[in-house]
Amino acid sequence: MDAVTAEQKYNFDVVRWFVVMAVVYLVVGALVGVYIASELAWPFLNFDSPYLSFGRLRPLHTNAVIFAFGGCVLMATAFYSVQRTCGVRLWSDKMAWFTFWGWNLIIVSAVLTLPLGITQGKEYAELEWPIDIAIAVVWLSYFFNFVMTIANRKTSHIYVSNWFFLGMMVMITYLHVVNSLAIPVGLFKSYSIFASVQDAMIQWWWGHNAVGFYLTAGFLGIMYYFVPKQANRPVYSYRLSVIHFWALMFGYVWLGAHHLQYTALPDWTGSLGAAVSLAMIIPSWGGAVNGMMTLSGAWDKLRTDYVLRFLIMSLAFYAMSTFEGPVMSIKTVNALSHYTDWTIGHVHSGALGWVALVAVGAIYHMIPRIFHTEIFSVKLVNIHFWTATIGTVIYIVAMWVSGIMQGLMWRAYDEYGTLAYTFAESVEAMHPYYAMRSVGGAIFLLGAVIMLVNVIMTVLKSVSDGSLRSARTATASA
Amino acid sequence: MSSLKEYFSTDWGAMTVTDWVGTILTVVIFLLMVGLYVYALRPKNREKLESKRFIPLDEDRIESGEDNGGK
Repeated sequence: MDAVTAEQKYNFDVVRWFVVMAVVYLVVGALVGVYIASELAWPFLNFDSPYLSFGRLRPLHTNAVIFAFGGCVLMATAFYSVQRTCGVRLWSDKMAWFTFWGWNLIIVSAVLTLPLGITQGKEYAELEWPIDIAIAVVWLSYFFNFVMTIANRKTSHIYVSNWFFLGMMVMITYLHVVNSLAIPVGLFKSYSIFASVQDAMIQWWWGHNAVGFYLTAGFLGIMYYFVPKQANRPVYSYRLSVIHFWALMFGYVWLGAHHLQYTALPDWTGSLGAAVSLAMIIPSWGGAVNGMMTLSGAWDKLRTDYVLRFLIMSLAFYAMSTFEGPVMSIKTVNALSHYTDWTIGHVHSGALGWVALVAVGAIYHMIPRIFHTEIFSVKLVNIHFWTATIGTVIYIVAMWVSGIMQGLMWRAYDEYGTLAYTFAESVEAMHPYYAMRSVGGAIFLLGAVIMLVNVIMTVLKSVSDGSLRSARTATASA
Repeated sequence: MSSLKEYFSTDWGAMTVTDWVGTILTVVIFLLMVGLYVYALRPKNREKLESKRFIPLDEDRIESGEDNGGK
């Protein structure tokens, strides 16, 4: 499809803005991440300022990477692929712009409130109640526009990537509303309506499903559209993708309890969470194999296509982290791993290795198609691939070693039954690995900066050669 | 064996309405999922389902409905 036809047929304006903002937020989120990782290695970086303390900047980092970067990627890719797979323009351009501005204002409000210490203290749901209401409204506008675009489609079948996006939208609406139920006691303060262990259970029902539906189902929607498109081959098995979808939808909601092993939660709840976690390896690996086998018979494409490398490498990390997670949920393993850096390593093998790489691959795929010009530098894409991969590996290896060492030091005892190490000794032992983690994160950040430069230069190239302008002018005059 | 029996023992009388609703819903959704697996894996449905995998590659032809069951 040529540029003029594409611009006439689809709304790529809002997609372009979401894509550019996603890359900006990737740099910002990773920068804050590297800074707080460095604070743990070199505490003087706190500068005795509450605004720069780890406790305040950590939620800023998680909100920036999950909701700012991840959200903009999900909105860009869902709006891009739903139009192309349904053969119709977005249902409402105005509503799409409401979603864009609304989402970005929410991000700005997070940047303002979190360093000031305004927080509900709920992990991955720190923002206070007025912002929670805004999130629900903006999210519903995204959801409604997506559903109505599908309702207007020119195909009889709804392609599987749209099912994954829909599953995410339904479940995140439900999870966000229930988890955010709170009693406001002021404009910037509220208390959860849940108490004690019920609060913990609701928190991790949300927490794990933010991973399961937002960071997995949504990004699998990306995978099922962008891997076949970039490889120019149909997905390996459509039937496997259908099974993958329904198994994920049924299974993921059970897993939250595995975050609460050895707590006040009834023992059977954690066991059930762990059992279903183990069962989830089957559909997760089925999906990863489905994505990778799409290249069956055309593996040589990986030699030359760096965008495809991002997508396939992300599937390798997806397979790895969806095996590691269930293993960590088993009580015996959890007794060692819980509260240690191993959890941080696991999260980042999923976040950097799976989510970021598949998102970056999708963005690199879209850039030439929405700006109607070649990418500024393929060499920079190549360098980004290696910095992202090497940075991620250094990060997670550091956290594996540090986490297992922490777990072993905490439970080591001598012949008299007293603890062999003080907590401070375990902190001291972590220092080299915290430094190593900062280095890994900095390498990953360098890749993100390279990507931002490449994207900005591509946009400027599109402006200078007039490719986007000519496509839009022809559209306006048509 | 007795400990296994004990592990799986349930005080049915203590089940609340919420417990029953949750249990029944879970079992029904699970059975629906099994039914869907049977549908997806049935050899008869193979061609019908696998034909959909070309949708992303046939975007330009979606308008005509040639390959995607278009309207």
